[in-house]
Amino acid sequence: PHSRPRHPGARTMLPLLLLLLATAHGLDKLHYTPTLASSTLGGLRTTSTFVLEQPRCIFTNLQGNAVIWLVVAVPEAVANFSNSVRPGTPERAFQGFPASAPAYMTLNTTLLNYPCPRAPGEITVLRVGSETSCAGDGTRPTCNGPLPGPGPYRVKFLALEGSKPVAETEWSELITLRTARPPGSIPAMGSGRSAGMIALTTILSILFAILLAGLVAMLVFWGSDACGSSSTFSKPEVVSVQRYNTHHVHDQPAAQL
Amino acid sequence: MAKSGDGIHILQGLLVFGNVVIGMCGIALTAECIFFVSDPHGLYPLLEATENDDIYAAAWIGIFVGFALFALSILGIFGVIKSNKTLLLVYVILMLITYAFEMASCITAATHRDFLTPNLFLKQMLERYQKSETVNNNDKWMTEGVTKTWDKLMLQNQCCGVRGPSDWQEYASAFRTMHSDADFPWPRNCCVMDARGSPVNLDGCKLGVPGYYNSNGCYDAISGPMNTHAWGVAWFGFAILCWTFCVLLGTMFYWSRIEY
Repeated sequence: PHSRPRHPGARTMLPLLLLLLATAHGLDKLHYTPTLASSTLGGLRTTSTFVLEQPRCIFTNLQGNAVIWLVVAVPEAVANFSNSVRPGTPERAFQGFPASAPAYMTLNTTLLNYPCPRAPGEITVLRVGSETSCAGDGTRPTCNGPLPGPGPYRVKFLALEGSKPVAETEWSELITLRTARPPGSIPAMGSGRSAGMIALTTILSILFAILLAGLVAMLVFWGSDACGSSSTFSKPEVVSVQRYNTHHVHDQPAAQL
Repeated sequence: MAKSGDGIHILQGLLVFGNVVIGMCGIALTAECIFFVSDPHGLYPLLEATENDDIYAAAWIGIFVGFALFALSILGIFGVIKSNKTLLLVYVILMLITYAFEMASCITAATHRDFLTPNLFLKQMLERYQKSETVNNNDKWMTEGVTKTWDKLMLQNQCCGVRGPSDWQEYASAFRTMHSDADFPWPRNCCVMDARGSPVNLDGCKLGVPGYYNSNGCYDAISGPMNTHAWGVAWFGFAILCWTFCVLLGTMFYWSRIEY
């Protein structure tokens, strides 16, 4: 008596409806997490850019006209993120990030730019934040502009066919950019005195003091010859032999005359 | 008497020899200090901007002290051979004055070398390199000197920053206020250049791909020549002064043994 009369096909309708719903969304959730590129890159994370690995060999079931977008979001926007908001709208514009647009979409490309398999030795990266020319241009909402702050941010790849999302990856881990400290925070004090410099100063000062003492001693004994000791020597006198003619020598020839 | 006469002659000979060595060392000191003052590595603007260029003052003093030592050594030789008390007293007094100057030069060079730390150059580079608004002429002169010197350093030594390119990322700088981080994570001269002076691969340089940018720091290229300069002035001067000390003591003893 409590059961309501049901339509005879209701039981098969429900699963069919669910199946229709699923195919209507058509969203392929790929088990891939976007990661930063190899850490050998010096510019992996700067104060306004970061470098991601390209999603090579990830989007395998896409049609030819699908466009793969990169979504960059603040972590708070990840929970309520809706795939159906179209890129290029003010809600997804880079210029409004993060104030009016908590997530933006950029770096759109077709699968042709992510060929699989990747060539060995090739660096396959995406630099997020490299376009500075369109950063303030409101007519370019899909600009890959420099990030406004150190973050953190989370990213994912989203494939759209027209305006219908067909595949997406997982959200990445938190990506935090570098923060620049002011140069005034560098301690510029010297490292103190080195041992060599102290030794040099000490020894030279002592030697100079001894020499000054010697000079003072010299000046004190300059006038007095009282410093006579047995080993003083005389300057070799210049002895000039003078001819000494005595009277006798002169007078004798006169006397003989 | 013969024995003391021989002793005195030996002392005379030693003093003459000592003075000859002082004369030669004086010329060598002059030559060495002229070499340092001529700044072959072009690092003087960096010191000028720290307002702490006393190792150059020490080298300048060294030039004149070297000449003085040479002249005084000749006077000394003359005085010893003539055994003239007045001459030798003048010699000792002038030598002591020269000794004092050379002492000042050595101590200055050694002390101021200790001020030249990596942090000093880092701070100066960040605050002055490509600074755009200069306060007065002096500031403008120093900023231009620092900028030109760093550009030349980074180009010729294939290096970047003081410790590495990360200096430009870790700290804010005058350079950063003029050039956006996305376009210039580090200055263009940190990129590996081709023969015409443009980067081999600008994107590779901005990304920091090894081989397209200079990943080592310039501190070795700065501190090497400055250490040579400072230690060359300080320790060679110290050696000369030790020798001069002995010669002067000998001269004082000889002087006291002369009798008019």
